[in-house]
Amino acid sequence: MFVMSEIEHTLRLPPHLLNRPLNAAIKGELESLFLDKVIDKLGLCVSMYDILSIDGGFIFPGDGASTYTARFRLVMFRPYVGEVISARLKESTKDGLRLSLGFFDDIYVPVPLMPNPYHTEPDPEHKNGTRWVWEYMGENYPIDWADEIRFRVHTVNYPPLPVEQGKDSEQKDSEEKDSRQKDLKPFAPMVITGSLDADGLGPTAWWV
Amino acid sequence: MKILQSNAGVLTNCEVLELLKSRGAGKDPTRVIAAVAPSEFKVYDYLEQTVAFKQTIEIIHKFVEDCKKYDLANGEMLNVVNIRPSSAVEIDPIIQDCDSRMGDRIDEFLENVVQVLPPYPSQLESNEDTAEDKEETTDDQQTGVK
Repeated sequence: MFVMSEIEHTLRLPPHLLNRPLNAAIKGELESLFLDKVIDKLGLCVSMYDILSIDGGFIFPGDGASTYTARFRLVMFRPYVGEVISARLKESTKDGLRLSLGFFDDIYVPVPLMPNPYHTEPDPEHKNGTRWVWEYMGENYPIDWADEIRFRVHTVNYPPLPVEQGKDSEQKDSEEKDSRQKDLKPFAPMVITGSLDADGLGPTAWWV
Repeated sequence: MKILQSNAGVLTNCEVLELLKSRGAGKDPTRVIAAVAPSEFKVYDYLEQTVAFKQTIEIIHKFVEDCKKYDLANGEMLNVVNIRPSSAVEIDPIIQDCDSRMGDRIDEFLENVVQVLPPYPSQLESNEDTAEDKEETTDDQQTGVK
């Protein structure tokens, strides 16, 4: 699940941090820059592993702060395709499931990757939700909320940043646009598509 | 920002947990004093709920040594360490072509996994039942109490 990536970055150390030891100040700056952010193709930055080197300390003309070039290693969350991961159920709708790891929520299991054969029923506990039930050998196995669910990573996508959507300015559609924007999910820079369609996948309660 | 090496090494869940613990994640109930960010605490919470909670680096080294004879890919060994499967059906999605590559040695491999890697505390009772039932059933029809 976790991979180390080595990064080199030139950063400006603001003057108000000058009284702190250099290592701690640089670490703090880098953490505020990278922690909990998604880097394209590298994954979600979870933590800083260590700082390999700090060079520089030059002060550019007109600037009050010194600039350092730091080389460091970050712990990235980047599962490989085919990895089996345990997660919890976050949402269950007619389009499939959404799973969560606590620190990462954009894991989707679309309908084609659900265990086959299945049937769905409206969820008694959550309105607008759907409960998924797997049929196997005459038995019904539902996917419940309390279970720990194992899925296999199918793909990991890094969708590009969306362009502003304000170009179509039909005023009479403004209500429709508002309701559409409320339904739009916040942009997810990293999306994992998971599969439940194999032996051993799905809620652990089915197999243990 | 320049990426020098996008893959400088793979980390098991245990190693990430050790890293967070060394920064003081486990010891601070208020979660304000330790040098750990809130997002890192979320990762710590997730890892605490997995079997990585009970593992140590020595255990992982021993497991890797023991598994050399099975000729597994690095990714497969990593996955087994992170998930700790305790039955053949759980191993199936993790190891590709499990039947043709492992065949009969699956039980031996599972024994190894279950003995070397410590279980998550709530799994302890159901795993004891597995050891007893294993001679009778090849599939997992166990009725362990959780």
